[in-house]
Amino acid sequence: MGTINSAFSLISGALNADQAALSIVANNVANASTPGYAEETPNWQENQPVTINGVQYGAGVTETGATSLRDRVLEQRLDQQQQLASSSGARLTALNSIQALFTPDSGSASSTAGDIGSDITSFFSSFASLEANPTNNSLRENVLSSATTLAGDVSNAAASLNQQSAALDQQASGVTSQVNSLTTSLAQLNQQIQTASPNADAGPLEDQRQEDLSQLSQLIGINQITTENNGISVTTTSGQTLVSENTSFQMTSGTEAGVTHFFVGNTDITSQLASGGGELGGYLTARDQDIPSAMNSLDQLAYNISTKVNTLNNAGTDLEGVTGSVASPLNIFSQPTAVAGSAVSMSVAMTDPNQIAAAAAGAATGDNTNATAMANLAGQTIVNGQTPTDFFSNFASTLGATVSGVQDENTAQNASVTQLQTQNDALSSVNLNDEAGAMSTLQSSYQAASQVFTMLNTIMVSVLNLGVETTVS
Amino acid sequence: MRVDPSYVSNLVGSLDQAQSNEQQLTAELSSGVSVTSLSQNPVTAGENILLLNQIQQDDSFTQSSNLVTGSLQVADSTLGSVLSQLTQAISLATSANNGTMNASDVKAVGNQISGILDEVESLANTSYEGQYIFAGGQTSTSPFTTSNTTSPGITTYNGDQNVNYLSTPNGQKIQLNVPGSQIFQGSGANSVFGALNALVADYSTGAVNTTQAVSDAQSLDTALNYVSQQRVTIDNSITQVTAASDAITSDQTQLTAAQTNLMQADVGEVSTQLSLSETQQTALEDVISQLDSSSNSLFSKLQ
Repeated sequence: MGTINSAFSLISGALNADQAALSIVANNVANASTPGYAEETPNWQENQPVTINGVQYGAGVTETGATSLRDRVLEQRLDQQQQLASSSGARLTALNSIQALFTPDSGSASSTAGDIGSDITSFFSSFASLEANPTNNSLRENVLSSATTLAGDVSNAAASLNQQSAALDQQASGVTSQVNSLTTSLAQLNQQIQTASPNADAGPLEDQRQEDLSQLSQLIGINQITTENNGISVTTTSGQTLVSENTSFQMTSGTEAGVTHFFVGNTDITSQLASGGGELGGYLTARDQDIPSAMNSLDQLAYNISTKVNTLNNAGTDLEGVTGSVASPLNIFSQPTAVAGSAVSMSVAMTDPNQIAAAAAGAATGDNTNATAMANLAGQTIVNGQTPTDFFSNFASTLGATVSGVQDENTAQNASVTQLQTQNDALSSVNLNDEAGAMSTLQSSYQAASQVFTMLNTIMVSVLNLGVETTVS
Repeated sequence: MRVDPSYVSNLVGSLDQAQSNEQQLTAELSSGVSVTSLSQNPVTAGENILLLNQIQQDDSFTQSSNLVTGSLQVADSTLGSVLSQLTQAISLATSANNGTMNASDVKAVGNQISGILDEVESLANTSYEGQYIFAGGQTSTSPFTTSNTTSPGITTYNGDQNVNYLSTPNGQKIQLNVPGSQIFQGSGANSVFGALNALVADYSTGAVNTTQAVSDAQSLDTALNYVSQQRVTIDNSITQVTAASDAITSDQTQLTAAQTNLMQADVGEVSTQLSLSETQQTALEDVISQLDSSSNSLFSKLQ
């Protein structure tokens, strides 16, 4: 049989539960803008009923704390997609700076400045003009000045590529310390979570851990593996362990062959990181793949033009009647020794325009055979089986296609990140309308419980006074 | 159903995109160029390089053709003068050979022909922009010198047999010069200087060996015809250069039109896109400001 006393205890329990739930709602509203905070809902639990003389009586309610609204799988998907999007984003930024060096020439005079394509044509055309009058000094000067423009523009572009590579290298090495502080924090959180909440969601601690993981996903490509007692192991996408239980393995960087390499312990993980994802993956892909490929094209162009033109010039007779020899060569460009590096060092070695060998070997200086031969180089497949202009045109198209491809990839990945983010926000982020609704409900139930308490009080007074109204009030 | 409460930030993302789109379109409008970076249209950018290359080559050939036309025209008009000098020499020789002249008249004719020889020699040594045009490859030395130490005198060719060609962008080769020896010192009776020197010697004493003089005059006539034939080569070259230059100019016009077409921004289309994008931006801004001003949470209704 239930008593008035038990009703008192039951309703005061309800008031406590409502207060606890109100404080959870208040905490949700307070953290509405906190990054990584997952909305919490109160846990209501019906108390064990009491059985007296075979009749069951309800025993009220207890509020047993809060549960964070979280979908670990969704969060992991979001992190993975974020890694891809960060990687292509960082690579796209780098590629945009690369392609800015090769802005298309619209054909107007101002846009021709610095355009390697038109430099190549001008250079070979200057030999074609020399055909008309092989002894003319101004035409000869023109050959040297167009050679200087070509060499200058090629070496400038190559030097800029080198600078961009160095800048990327610096950005990449800056990521190391951020990664290390995040993995250290993850290891500590693992320990706290395993101690505090080995079997259930750890609430605020879990919020922090997920936030760290999502920050880490911006930086590098990672895999997350759930371990026993609610721990998480973190490895790079190719399996190098960064966090295991409560231990973190620090990433270090060092210079190898002029560029920064990354290590965990003694293992070089640079190439793994490049293909892994995250900002670092993007930086490394641009540094180790995109820039070297553009540089190689410029090197091929510079090397082949320089050597082929020099060879022909040495095979002819200059205006003084001299033919080049090994001992005193008539080189227009400084002769490159190897393909690699020839773009940066491309320069004009000749200072005297009379040394241009327009005439064939043994012919008189008025002959133009050799000038014709050098002009004809423009139409010959002297650079990797292509004419210099075709080669440059292909290079520009390929670079453009790469940039445009990465751009599309990045747009798609960002769209997918947005979609996942929306899904995740719909679940985990604090919805103020919901909170207002909950607040309103709790207010009503708190008011109702208080009202019940007041009425019980009146009833109790009646009981104590045995119907006489005045003794106890 | 739960919704993403921070949808306003997605709207802001769309707003950013609309703005960057407008920036790109405005850049296209102000520069008049549709492809401002390689990635925007890689294929067009590549084609553009090839087209510009051809246009530049054509341009350079037009300049070269102006240069060579000058030198070819000088050669042509020089040969014209040579022919008229030779015609005059032949008529002088004919009058001296008809047996009606006295010795001093014949000597006078000899002197006139000697003068013509000097004139022809100086014409054969014509230079254009400092280069001797009938010297083959030896353009810096005067190609013909005459020595009168023997009789008849001997005119020596100091040039060589070098012939220069100009290549057109489509691979045609145009001959730019005819070596002087080929024009003025053809073999046998074709040698202008040989015939002129012989005639000067014939008339130098005043006593004419008519048979020899008539034969030498005929040689000069033959040599004159030979020079005419050589002049045709020069004339052909002039015609070829003019024809090639005309063809190249029309080719260049077409290429320039194609290149402009390829790279030029379509103002109408870009303006339409810009206006669309602006409308979208305005709409987005209105939506965002509406969401911002009207409180979007139930809390505003709770008392």
